[in-house]
Amino acid sequence: MTKELDFYTLLGVPRSASVEEIRRAYREAALRLHPDKNTGPGDTELFLKVNKAYEILSDLDQRADYDKGLVEHEAELSARASFKARVIQSRRKLLQLDEPQVHYLLLDVQPNADLPTIRPPINLALVLDRSTSMRGARLDQLRSAVIKILQSTEHGDSTSIVTFSDRAELVVTPDQARDMSVARARLSLIQASGGTEIGQGLRTGLNELEKYFSREGINHLILFTDGRTYGDEDECIEIAEYCASKGITIHGIGIGNDFSDRLLDDLASRTGGSVAFLDTPQAIVSVMEGIFEALGRTVASRLRLEGAVAPQVDLRSSFRLLPEPMPLGDSLPMNLGNLPRDGVVRVLLEVVIHPIGKMSELTLAHFTIDGDILGKGNNSVALPLQVRIPVSTEPDTDPPPEQITAALSQISLYRMQEKARHEAELGQSGQAARRLENLATQLLANGEKELAKAALSEADRLTHSRRLSSEGEKVLKYGTRALLLPARTGDS
Amino acid sequence: MIECPTCRHQEFVGTFSCSECGTRLVHTAPIGLDDLSEGEAAGDHGLPATRGLDPSAIFGLRVVETGDMVSLVGRDNFTLGRSGGGQAIVPDVDLDAYGAQDQGISRLHAEIRLDEEGVHVVDLDSVNGTLINGKRIEPQQPRRIRHKDIIQLGRLRLQLVSRQRS
Repeated sequence: MTKELDFYTLLGVPRSASVEEIRRAYREAALRLHPDKNTGPGDTELFLKVNKAYEILSDLDQRADYDKGLVEHEAELSARASFKARVIQSRRKLLQLDEPQVHYLLLDVQPNADLPTIRPPINLALVLDRSTSMRGARLDQLRSAVIKILQSTEHGDSTSIVTFSDRAELVVTPDQARDMSVARARLSLIQASGGTEIGQGLRTGLNELEKYFSREGINHLILFTDGRTYGDEDECIEIAEYCASKGITIHGIGIGNDFSDRLLDDLASRTGGSVAFLDTPQAIVSVMEGIFEALGRTVASRLRLEGAVAPQVDLRSSFRLLPEPMPLGDSLPMNLGNLPRDGVVRVLLEVVIHPIGKMSELTLAHFTIDGDILGKGNNSVALPLQVRIPVSTEPDTDPPPEQITAALSQISLYRMQEKARHEAELGQSGQAARRLENLATQLLANGEKELAKAALSEADRLTHSRRLSSEGEKVLKYGTRALLLPARTGDS
Repeated sequence: MIECPTCRHQEFVGTFSCSECGTRLVHTAPIGLDDLSEGEAAGDHGLPATRGLDPSAIFGLRVVETGDMVSLVGRDNFTLGRSGGGQAIVPDVDLDAYGAQDQGISRLHAEIRLDEEGVHVVDLDSVNGTLINGKRIEPQQPRRIRHKDIIQLGRLRLQLVSRQRS
């Protein structure tokens, strides 16, 4: 499955890297991968590749030959790549400036028309919280949602149902799931009691996914919880990292005021998944059905953005807007999640450009877009993507493109909410309250009355009790995040 | 830098909206960096000329809000922080004069290091963290900085100045 990476990507340096930068990157990689020290499988092989890359790139003549071959190779790759991509930039030209400046890139990735249009087999683990607080409507609705999902599974799917409290148990195996009467009987045995140990649930769910793992289909874990896990966050993150490396996505669903939203966000973001926040049990069925239905429309899993940005450029943040809004990390390679057959994965990247001297054009980044195409015998062809921009002494006076304006004004609301929460946690409640008032003003201007009201009431709470409510935190976070959904930005 | 017309908060050129109050900033003209605009950066590696004992070099930190210059001379590393009252450890550069406590600066917040490879800043596990050009850096991991980069300790912003005297 591993593809030949170009030497620059292998060393993690930009194409324009100086000999010194290449040497430094090589030294770092060689120290880490040296056969005397390395631990992972395949590290020695990688060590040899890194040596080869350094040998070529450190020699001017050989590097020139390699570069020429690489350009030709990439032109040929783009022509038959499995993906199409488009980059829109916030400005048409950068300003020649001796101070840092901010720039935004909107990246759209779509499948190429010749990719398969089959529904992929789905290997799914439902990992469900059955702690005491799930009793009643939450558990009842959850059971109905699971039954709906089991009814819409197709031949070749594997569905495992795991519940957890202080420990985890496999309630329905894929074989049992194929017989509705057995599945129903098993589901009715679920009793709500005990605490919340997410790590236990994840591990059991992952075990199941690995038993039925298939590269030809989707491998997905849905984690449903209403609580906060204590002490096993690191274990959860370790599992998520492992899932990310295998191409297993994690979808978090949190209900109520008390779930660990940050942990869920972290798990989902690492694996390219997403998080849904429900304030009422009535939403459980439709949300879970929606997630399952979207899985069936996936054409490629583990879509990822690889490569490197120029030395003058720092990736500051990234936000996936489509298909589901989700803040992603600030480092490459980046896991973008599943690519829908009939849709698009849209990511907004925020970069800081260090002072740039006299130049007429800057190559911001050399990216590679790749993913695992689902279906039999489908090997993907990665898409190389170079992002360039002219540099001028005159500022760009044109307004930024409409899509970027729409996305950025919503993201800025999300960021304000995040900042206010951070300030509140540091005890700077006055400042946090002022920020939430500003946020409310912006929300009102956007016609978001309910969210504005929530922001104001939290600002009020901060002034009086110096704290945010855990309900308010989640309403504002997922509320402002949901503003990024396609229906809101008027763009499907 | 550009200045938000509503709340006077400063952001980098090209920033879409004010991170303080959310006001749209598109097309706000850059404000002058006054005394920083003339003069050449000291070599393209941003290597401080102080190391060569060149008396004509300027190497220091400019406090963005007040415009004050804090010179860094005579050493290879400088700890930044606040002295507070009666503590045993005193930072090399005491930022008390700039409201260090209110700005969320730790007693030993960060360190500036100079070596052959250039200037690096290291966050010393400070409470509120250190940002380089708006990006948070990992504690205890040296990050390369260059002339005119913005180092933010807590909320206090400092700009690295490393150039020849004109």
